[in-house]
Amino acid sequence: MRFVIIGAGRVGLRTARVLRDEGHEVTMVERDEPTRRRARDQGFAVVDGDGSREAVLEEADITAADALGALTGDLNVNFTACMIGNHYECRTVMRIDEAYREGIYRKYADQVDEIIYPERLGAIGAKNALLGGTIRAIADIAPHLQVVELTITDAAPVNGYTISELHLPADATVLAFGKGEAPLEIPTEDLSLEDGDRLVVLADFDVLSDVRQLLVGETAALAAANAGTGSSSAATELLETEPERDSESDSDTGGVN
Amino acid sequence: MVTAFVMIKANTGEADRLRDSIESIDGVRSAHIVAGDVDLIAKAIVETPAEVKEIAATHVQSIEGVEDTQTYIAMD
Repeated sequence: MRFVIIGAGRVGLRTARVLRDEGHEVTMVERDEPTRRRARDQGFAVVDGDGSREAVLEEADITAADALGALTGDLNVNFTACMIGNHYECRTVMRIDEAYREGIYRKYADQVDEIIYPERLGAIGAKNALLGGTIRAIADIAPHLQVVELTITDAAPVNGYTISELHLPADATVLAFGKGEAPLEIPTEDLSLEDGDRLVVLADFDVLSDVRQLLVGETAALAAANAGTGSSSAATELLETEPERDSESDSDTGGVN
Repeated sequence: MVTAFVMIKANTGEADRLRDSIESIDGVRSAHIVAGDVDLIAKAIVETPAEVKEIAATHVQSIEGVEDTQTYIAMD
């Protein structure tokens, strides 16, 4: 596919790299000279200019693009770029700068197909790394839905069950299964669940805690052993990544301890 | 008559509630949720500049979820 990325800073450039690695065609737009040079040094086509101007986006061949990523740190530029992209029938993705705005843009910005708040993803990653435990948040799908990877432990109530015997709460679905260190794959019914196996589950926040109890088990000693932190609340706390709070710090860190 | 525009920066995602609270203030003619560095813009038409200050500093700023305001008085 063909993508136009506005902003060649840390978010834009990294996104462009991932897209290129997967074989896509990327054109970037950047108005800052040193930032532009850095992207060009890495082999990217970079148009010089302001991504909120239609002529600049046309130069970046917006007419042929499938999607536009407005990933600068400037909300006005990002939103305007999405409006133009929408006009050219591109899928539009907009970066926002503060957590509380996520809901506002999802609700009101019809021109924007998807909202990205990089700090939230970074915080989830940092927290997972710090906890090092048996549960890992992969993505927030919607305000109330999260995808998590859980590692089965010996103490898990489902240890020894097969996938078909596994009964998760109504608002939770198994998406993928990985036997031990093996890559994740679509689960088949007769696979057994054993210590060290990994399950990727899509779950509503309301039932995440139940899911964790079923799949990971929850004795304090075990949680501490798995997390290596001595904190039995670590995994529980991760599950409390709330969807829509007023306080920005809450949203950024997924709750404080 | 004084016409003024008040730019409002929020710190909450409850944009609907803010807009409704702002629109219910005496003298405020309209309020819109906007994209960009501020989250709402309200238009007020009142008799005196003092009333503009009253709207922005007293009423809007006291709404929970309002972080900051910036007011522009129309010259035409």
